[in-house]
Amino acid sequence: MKILDYLKEHTVYLDGGTGTLLQKRGLKPGELPERWNITHPDVIVDIHRSYYDAGSNIVCTNTFGANSLKFDDHELDTLIGAAIENADKARGSSTGKQEKYIALDISSVGKLLKPYGDLDFEDAVSIYAKTVRAGASKGVDLIYIETMSDSYDTKAALLAAKENSDLPVFVSNAYGEDGKLMTGASPAAMVAMLEGMGADAIGANCSLGPAQLRGVVEEYLEYASVPVLLKPNAGLPRSEQGQTVYDVFPDEFSDLLREYVLSGVRIAGGCCGTTPDYIRETVKKTSDIRPKEITAKNRTVISSYTHAVEFGDSPILIGERINPTGKKRFKEALRNDDIDYILGEGITQQEKGAHVLDVNVGLPEIDEPKMLKKVMFELQSVIDLPLQIDTTDITAMETALRRYNGKAMINSVNGKEEVMRKIFPLVRKYGGLVVCLTLDEDGIPAQAERRVEIAKKIIKTAEEYGIDKKDLIFDTLAMTVSADPNAALATLKSLNIIKKQLKCHTSLGVSNISFGLPDREIITAAFFTLAMENGLSAAIMNPNSAEMMKSYYSFRALHGIDNNCTDYIENIGRYASVAVCAAGSSEASETAAQDKETGSDLQRAIVKGLKEQAAALTIEMLKSEDPLEIVTTQIIPALDIVGIGFEKKTMYLPQLLMSAEASQCAFDQIKLKMTDSPTGAVSRGKFVIATVHGDIHDIGKNIVKLILENYGFDVYDLGKDVPAEGVVEVTVREHAPFVGLSALMTTTVPAMEETIKLLRTQAPWAKVIVGGAVLTQEYADSIGADYYAGDAMATVRYAMQQQENFEKKKSNI
Amino acid sequence: MEDNTVFVREYNETEGLSYINESEILRYAGCPAGTDEPDEAVYKLLKEVIEELKGSFSYRVCYRRMNVTWEGGMPRFLLKAESSDLARCLRGSSEAILFAATIGLKIDRYINKYRRLSPSRALLMQGYGAERVEALCRVFCDDIKRQVSSEGLSCTARFSPGYGDLPLESQKEVFALLDCSRRIGISLNESLLMTPSKSVTAVFGLGKGIGHENT
Repeated sequence: MKILDYLKEHTVYLDGGTGTLLQKRGLKPGELPERWNITHPDVIVDIHRSYYDAGSNIVCTNTFGANSLKFDDHELDTLIGAAIENADKARGSSTGKQEKYIALDISSVGKLLKPYGDLDFEDAVSIYAKTVRAGASKGVDLIYIETMSDSYDTKAALLAAKENSDLPVFVSNAYGEDGKLMTGASPAAMVAMLEGMGADAIGANCSLGPAQLRGVVEEYLEYASVPVLLKPNAGLPRSEQGQTVYDVFPDEFSDLLREYVLSGVRIAGGCCGTTPDYIRETVKKTSDIRPKEITAKNRTVISSYTHAVEFGDSPILIGERINPTGKKRFKEALRNDDIDYILGEGITQQEKGAHVLDVNVGLPEIDEPKMLKKVMFELQSVIDLPLQIDTTDITAMETALRRYNGKAMINSVNGKEEVMRKIFPLVRKYGGLVVCLTLDEDGIPAQAERRVEIAKKIIKTAEEYGIDKKDLIFDTLAMTVSADPNAALATLKSLNIIKKQLKCHTSLGVSNISFGLPDREIITAAFFTLAMENGLSAAIMNPNSAEMMKSYYSFRALHGIDNNCTDYIENIGRYASVAVCAAGSSEASETAAQDKETGSDLQRAIVKGLKEQAAALTIEMLKSEDPLEIVTTQIIPALDIVGIGFEKKTMYLPQLLMSAEASQCAFDQIKLKMTDSPTGAVSRGKFVIATVHGDIHDIGKNIVKLILENYGFDVYDLGKDVPAEGVVEVTVREHAPFVGLSALMTTTVPAMEETIKLLRTQAPWAKVIVGGAVLTQEYADSIGADYYAGDAMATVRYAMQQQENFEKKKSNI
Repeated sequence: MEDNTVFVREYNETEGLSYINESEILRYAGCPAGTDEPDEAVYKLLKEVIEELKGSFSYRVCYRRMNVTWEGGMPRFLLKAESSDLARCLRGSSEAILFAATIGLKIDRYINKYRRLSPSRALLMQGYGAERVEALCRVFCDDIKRQVSSEGLSCTARFSPGYGDLPLESQKEVFALLDCSRRIGISLNESLLMTPSKSVTAVFGLGKGIGHENT
């Protein structure tokens, strides 16, 4: 009988700890246990057999760390082959009468993925794929991915298993005492992602004893529609006369596991510190229990790398601001690769209360798959909200879904056959909650009933792909009410029917309703309230709109969702009046009163690093003065005060940065004013800046960037861990006169040297400035840099002086 | 006594970690020690940073205890890397504790968020993280000191890969011996940097009648 068939009717028993037993049999610290498959096959067979004899249905091969980072391809293949053979021998010679299976055991490669580590997601997938391919063809019954402490790493392993075999896959994560994975994911988030990708059983193992894992297991049982597994440690380790002992013994262990099996755990075993005795006792105490039926939970859940967001009574707010449509500034950011601006839009929406962020970076002139991948990666490295991937480019959609860390929202599919046939296979493979627009080949129907018909067709087609309707969310399309007086009614009616009769979740891009009308926010917010009353589960909206947020908090309070109106009371004050600037300027005048000795109010605000004040004072000044005049008479002199203070060591790095940030706020206002006039500011020149390959620390580089921008340089920030070719490419493309390279560690200085060498041949005009913790003048000379800059100000001074030299040369010619 | 087990200890802010050394944070952020009153705006930002990061740390240490024998003035123990500076630090020890400590990944996420949006905030967060992980190391070492004093042993100062002539390369060995990735979630990248970035690995000696004077 196949394992999944057996699982339908029975509780399945896994094996116990192997590492502990191997240590007892003489495995040395630091020795790779996988090699014992070949050097000590008898020991391995013995251990496996003892678990089968104790009643384990599944024995996991001794391949925990068998991956291509530790072994070359040939050895990997041989080790895995031997490991499976050992398990098979044990199965053949065991006296146990139960059904017996062999699981190909896979665990983390032990390196953290980007953005926090240096392993690329696709490289991780390739590493796991090698292990899967080496084992899947050699007679195992399933793949067991275990002890995974990072959600992204888990996704890579599961994807590799699915893409390289047809075997069932069980996935087990290691949770800390806080009930989260090491990188922060909650059990509910893991359930959403893993079920979406088609894991056959999921659960927890290692790190803690059975008692401490209670909260984690309960969350799994609450959310999971697939069998839940549990393989805990024998409690916590301690030392007795140089021997490791664990504090939970077989009797207590099996009592606890009995409780878990009664509450619904379907696959049970042990991890570190457990021995065949633990399994034997557990089998004995649970085999009389009739396995609890596994039920579909029908919960609509998406996730990020930390948490799940569930669709239910309380409407979900999907921030719409990451989208170039109709936004000049956003388009400019996309064209200039200005990721910081896009991140800023994301962070603001999160602060304003968005639960999910829509991400749309489609512009005709940019490479959308590449841009979407990049923006999504950057967003996921600073914002822990789930994302809604919004694109009509199918390649971009797949690229993004593949790399998304969690279970994403997908925007969108519609009733057109062609679109459904393209999108649903992706949903099937990567998981996701799909926004379904109720339109088809004939356009958007005017009548509500026809929109409902389209919804039914979409549900039916999704079913063919095994996609449940809980993973569909219907958008009945808000149309412009100024163009058609019945537009809102049709949308609301179909929304109501889909929610109440088809029992599906719904979503709307609410802002569309008010196109062409004055004071749009007011009518949009009214429509939003009506839609919520008609069963709207989620709105794609602008969280910066006070009117929208007022409707949201009011609706929740009025609808019995907000107990004691707690959220309303806590939040509504933010929207009651808008007086941020006023508050800022009163503080500014206070500062001005205190400090009369130097310059204008604006200069003082910049010197003191007061951001809001700097912005407010600039706005005030722009009413009567020329923007460029403000830059030269106010901002630059203020920066000089701080710069000189820093050089004389009367001011320190935090102050330098705070002033720079304050002047940035002033500059932002000046730029806004200047986009109206075509002349623009005079640039001091292009400056390419990067942290070199292998180095992931970039705070120093960012400091230099900020100060350079303050002084009027056009900075092309290539980020961190940038290969030499990347630096050269941009330097050549922009014909930049300056390149700044940063390295924190001695180990990455060779990469810096290599980059300089390549620059000398490809971009001989460029002056290369180097900096970073380990560099010295001598070091800089030895790798052929033009200049060693000890800090940000030194970089600015050097570049400005070089600029002057260029100018002189020009005038001499 | 030498032990095959890698132990894990988790700490919370009530155990000697409740005191936040603000001038230490400012020092890490580039305001040298002995600076008079910190600038008011900087100080305000520091307070905001401390508030924002409240509850973001998860203090974990993993460690193992190992025997040390001496051969021609060099210690022989599980850590194979040769270093005369380490030998000097461990002088007189009969055992050693090898440990790794981290305050978790959350602060890295914050730093990552702010390093481009507000480098000054990111800078102070860097300083705060450095102060926290140092405090954790101190609390852990004090713990061990108390524990081994009942065996009549005292501790040397601690010594980390990258100090003196102990190459950073030895991080690889430390990670293999402590299984840091699985135990407390620290991983080592190609350039031998640790993630979470606010992590420390170090070794210190245990012995009869040794003290901190050989720091």
